[in-house]
Amino acid sequence: MIETTPVGPVTAGTLFDANFLLVDVPFEQGYIESIIRVSLLVSLTAVILSTLVGLPVALAVGFTEFPGKRLVVALINTGMGLPSVVVGLLVLFGVSNQGPLGSLDLVFTREAMIISQFVLATPVVTGVSLAAVTEIEDGVRDAAYVMGGTRLDVALVTISEARAGIVTAVLAGLGRAISEVGSVLIVGGNIVRADGTSVTRTLTTAIQLEARQGRFEIALLLGGVLIALVLVINGIVLRIGGRRY
Amino acid sequence: MAQFSSSRSSQHSQSTGILLSNVSHGFDGTAVLTDITLTVSRGETLVVIGPSGTGKTTLIRLLALFDSPDSGRILVGDTNLWSLSTDERLAARRRIGMVFQEPNLFEASVQRNVSYGHRVRLGWRARLRQWARRLVGDSSSPVVEETLEVVGLADAARRSTGSLSGGEAQRVAFARALAYDPEFLLLDEPTSDLDPRNTAVIEQAVETARDDGLGVVVATHDMQQAERIADRVAVLLDGRLIEVGPTEEVFTNPEDRRTQRFIDGELLY
Repeated sequence: MIETTPVGPVTAGTLFDANFLLVDVPFEQGYIESIIRVSLLVSLTAVILSTLVGLPVALAVGFTEFPGKRLVVALINTGMGLPSVVVGLLVLFGVSNQGPLGSLDLVFTREAMIISQFVLATPVVTGVSLAAVTEIEDGVRDAAYVMGGTRLDVALVTISEARAGIVTAVLAGLGRAISEVGSVLIVGGNIVRADGTSVTRTLTTAIQLEARQGRFEIALLLGGVLIALVLVINGIVLRIGGRRY
Repeated sequence: MAQFSSSRSSQHSQSTGILLSNVSHGFDGTAVLTDITLTVSRGETLVVIGPSGTGKTTLIRLLALFDSPDSGRILVGDTNLWSLSTDERLAARRRIGMVFQEPNLFEASVQRNVSYGHRVRLGWRARLRQWARRLVGDSSSPVVEETLEVVGLADAARRSTGSLSGGEAQRVAFARALAYDPEFLLLDEPTSDLDPRNTAVIEQAVETARDDGLGVVVATHDMQQAERIADRVAVLLDGRLIEVGPTEEVFTNPEDRRTQRFIDGELLY
C-alpha cells in the first residue's frame, strides 16, 4: 500500500550530523537517496528516449526537402517552449481511465512522469540537434558519400561532426527534464511510501514541498544536491561527447 | 550484377572506362550541362577546362554519381549506372575517388580521415572489432601510412586535421581519396587555393595515380596546370563540350576558335 507521508519538522540538532550528505535531515533513512534515484531514473530515461526520437527526426528534417518543412521546424521550435503544467495535464488525461492509455494504469506512476518529461524534452533535443546538424557543411557529407558511404554512414559522419551541438542538445533536454516540477507533480503525485522512500517524488517536487512548508534550509539543501547532480551528469556527457570520431 | 561486385579483383579485371552519353543536367529549370558526350578511360588524365560557372563541377559530380542526369546516360560498358539497384550503384560508386575544391576533412585525426573509405567497406562486425582495437590504443594502419607518403605527409597520421595548413589539408584529402584504391579519381579545382609547392605535390600525385592505372579527371581553369598534367583536354563553355582532344592538339591547334580565345584569355566570364 502506497501512501503519502508528510515529513517531520526541522528540529535543533538534526542538521550537520554524519550521514551521506554530512547533514542530518529530518527524513526517514534512505529518503534522499530514493528521490535522487527517482529523479535520475525518470529524467535520464526520458532524455534517452527523447534523443532516440529527436536525433533521427533532426537528421531527417535537416537533410530532406519536403513540403511543409518550415512548418515542421516551426512546430519543433514551438515545442521547446511548451508549458510544463499543460503537458502534465495532457499526459494525465492521456493516462487516466478515460484516456487512450487508460488501460495501462499509469496514473501517479514513474512511467507517466517519464512520458511527460519525454514530451517536454523531445522538442528541445530535436530543435537544438537540428540547429547543430544543419550547420555541418554539405562538403563533409559529400566527402563521406563519395568515399562509398551509405546513407547511414553519411548520417553517422554528420552526427560525429555535429557531436558538440548534439551533446548540448542532450544536456539542454536533460536540463528541461530534471528541473521540471509542474508536470511531474500532476502526473506523478509526489508520492512517498510509508517507509518514507520515494515512489514518484523527485528532487524538484521535494524542493517545492519543502519550500511550501517553510523549510527553506532543506529546500536549499535539496537544490544543492540537484545542481551537483546536473553538474556531474554534464561532466560525464561532455567527456563522452568530446571523443573524436 | 557481377561487374559491380565489391571484390577488388573482379573490379580490376572487368573494369572499363566511364562514358557520359548525351548527358544534360540543370537545376531549377536552368540548364547547366547540355548534351555532353565524353569518355573517361583508365590510365589517362583528362582535364576539363573552362571558365568559372560553366558546369565543370556539375560534370564532376555527375561522374561521381551524386546526381542522376536529367537526360542521357552514364555508362560503364553497356551498363547505365542509374538503372542499377542502390546496392549495385553503391558498388559502382566505391570505384570512384574524389577530391573537392575544399578539403572537407572530418574533425578527427588524419588517420581517421584517410582510413574512412576502408572503414565504410567493412561489415558492422569488423567495424566494431576495429573500434574496440582503437579503444585499447591500436589504430595503426600500413595502408594509411603508405598513402600519406604519396602526398608527403608520412608523419602526419596522428595529427588532428585542425592542426593542418590549407595545403596539408588538401593533400590529406587527396590521400583519403586514394586510400581505398579507386579506379577513377575525380578532382574539382584541387589546387585553386594552394601555393606552388603544394600544387606540385598534388600534380605529382596525379601523375603517379595515372601511371598506376587510374582514370583521372581534373576540372580546372588553370591553363598551365592543364597543359602540365593532361593527356587529353576537354573544353567546356556555356555548359557544352566544344572540343575534346590530346593536350598538345588542343593547345596548339584547336578546332574551335572559342578554345583558342579561351586559352588566350580573351573570353571573359
